[in-house]
Amino acid sequence: MPRIGIRDPTRMPMTVSLSQHLQTHRDEILAEWFAKWLPADNSGQPGWASPAQTRHIMQTLFDQILSALTTAPPDQLPDLDEQAPLCVHLRHLAAEQARNPEQATDPLRLLFSLRQLLLRHVTAWDRKSETLSMAEPMLRLDRYFDRIALFAFNSILSLRDRHISEQNLSLMELSTPVLRLWHQILLLPLVGIIDTGRARQIADHLLEAIARHEARVTVIDLTGVPIIDTSVAQHIMKTIDAARLLGSRVVLTGISPEGAQTLTKLGIRFGDVICRASLRAGIAEALMITGKRITAMEDPAHP
Amino acid sequence: MKKIPILRLGRILLVSIQEDLTDNEAMQFQSDLVNKVAEIEALGVAVDITALDVVDSYMARVINDTASMVRLLGAEVVICGIQPYVAMTLIEMGRDLIGADCAFNLDQGLEMLRERIAHRGDIRFTGDGDE
Repeated sequence: MPRIGIRDPTRMPMTVSLSQHLQTHRDEILAEWFAKWLPADNSGQPGWASPAQTRHIMQTLFDQILSALTTAPPDQLPDLDEQAPLCVHLRHLAAEQARNPEQATDPLRLLFSLRQLLLRHVTAWDRKSETLSMAEPMLRLDRYFDRIALFAFNSILSLRDRHISEQNLSLMELSTPVLRLWHQILLLPLVGIIDTGRARQIADHLLEAIARHEARVTVIDLTGVPIIDTSVAQHIMKTIDAARLLGSRVVLTGISPEGAQTLTKLGIRFGDVICRASLRAGIAEALMITGKRITAMEDPAHP
Repeated sequence: MKKIPILRLGRILLVSIQEDLTDNEAMQFQSDLVNKVAEIEALGVAVDITALDVVDSYMARVINDTASMVRLLGAEVVICGIQPYVAMTLIEMGRDLIGADCAFNLDQGLEMLRERIAHRGDIRFTGDGDE
């Protein structure tokens, strides 16, 4: 039984609770919400499903919020547990929009527009009823919406995080191939930022490949590494040392002038590692170490 | 501000430091040389310091750093013409002040560079020495 009704049983109109009131005006509120959210020309929100589907999503959202408000005890906020239909629906909505960075916050905007609408409705109802303050139900509604919004926000964030870590993983997989260039020659083209995790993975890949192919020379190409700093240099140095322990020589290629200056100013010495300006020169060096050469054909088919 | 000319002999670069450099000039020289080496993919660099009567620890470090940078870019380096008393001071200041290879004069320096370059894979096995 709603509290207002208990306090003042003589005023019959006031026995309706907030949720009951909202239930009676459901269609009216929904229509207003649709009008607010969907553009007048029936084109739908950019990035959203068709207007009909959007309407369905909004209607479901509204009904779920309403039913949660109705079933919860009047002095408590409705529970927001993970399995509640509302939460499932919100998570689904967030997943739909998270793919597109511009629309990632749309579920939040949708919720806020509904909250504003509902609060206005409640205020209007308050004025008509000329009775005790409606502050408490309004506060309750407001706090409930805060929690829903927080939940939606968290869903969006965690989805985002998952996307990012998935992308990280695939980037790592993509960017550290160890290529067998020729018999006993391996090529490791490094692309992108090298952090500690990646460096360890690169070293693992490389050492494993050196052992498998019994490579005498490994060419490490740094053309695609934009920034060479202390940590990157140390990682590369460690990889080189490990390769040397396995009996493979290392040729470094593609260090930029800026990279060379930074490395030297940082006091990093690459010692007796062979450095070459271009990948081409590095490959030639590797071929020389293994006693091979690239040469023009003696009797070219097309002289 | 003085600018040190960088002369090109095929794919060898020749620099002669004639007088003391200020800090800024030394830095300018360093980045000029490094950029030039990368630009033409130089195979060797000869730094001639015959005319320097005084090499302080700063200058020694600049020369040494430049040599390291150049080597990272895949070129051989020779320092030519260190004066006897300069050599004495450098050794007294610290053993490894000049880590690069040295030659008596420019002539022997260039000889040394050519020999080293001739043993490199990119010349011997692709035949693109002076393209």
